[in-house]
Amino acid sequence: MAGRSKKLVIRTKLGEREIARDSILYFPHGLIGLDDKREFVLIQVRENSPFLLLQCVTDPGLGLLVADPYPFLPDYNVKLEAPEKKLLQVESIRQIAVLVTVTIPKDRPEATTLNLSGPIILNTKARLGLQAPQVDAKLPTHFRLNEAQRPSKPAPAPE
Amino acid sequence: MLILTRRPGESLYLGEHIKLKVLSIQGKQIKLGLEVPEDMTVYREEVYLKIKEQNSQALEASQQDLLAAASLWQEEAKNS
Repeated sequence: MAGRSKKLVIRTKLGEREIARDSILYFPHGLIGLDDKREFVLIQVRENSPFLLLQCVTDPGLGLLVADPYPFLPDYNVKLEAPEKKLLQVESIRQIAVLVTVTIPKDRPEATTLNLSGPIILNTKARLGLQAPQVDAKLPTHFRLNEAQRPSKPAPAPE
Repeated sequence: MLILTRRPGESLYLGEHIKLKVLSIQGKQIKLGLEVPEDMTVYREEVYLKIKEQNSQALEASQQDLLAAASLWQEEAKNS
């Protein structure tokens, strides 16, 4: 875009970060309980960490801790309904990335849990995202990380 | 709260684009059919509230706890 830098410095929970403008993810419906926030970026908490910050571009205080669930739960299965697939403009399963929100009980990082009932689904090609509630009764609502097998690989770096 | 009585097979319109139909009643369970615009999301209340709560917990993590958790699970990754 003429006259616009490809980079953007935003304030986040982890301080100022420089982001690429084309790394911004658009959430047409926002997130649940945050439906007026549309633009987010993924920021790595630190190198090789499975945790990422899903940071709202326009609100520095609004950064959700998320993680790639698959190093911990290789069999985690997410179901998307047809309208959700349409909203995400899914053409191929290879465009899809899944993240889950993370809860760290105050001052007890060892009791960190992954929340499995509200995964955040990204179309990494179209750079679209949504939160897709899962209603599978067999799916636990959360998963304690210290009950996990050792992760098999660190989370991929955000693009 | 608006209260209306409906029998199985009867419907309600919420505005022009949302139709809510009582399909059947079996014991304590009522089966509802919804016709809503494609871009409208429908949530079960308990699922919606739980996810909303989890989102706010994911927001509240202090920077200190966040970095501590990152260290904890980063070491796990290294050990594997």
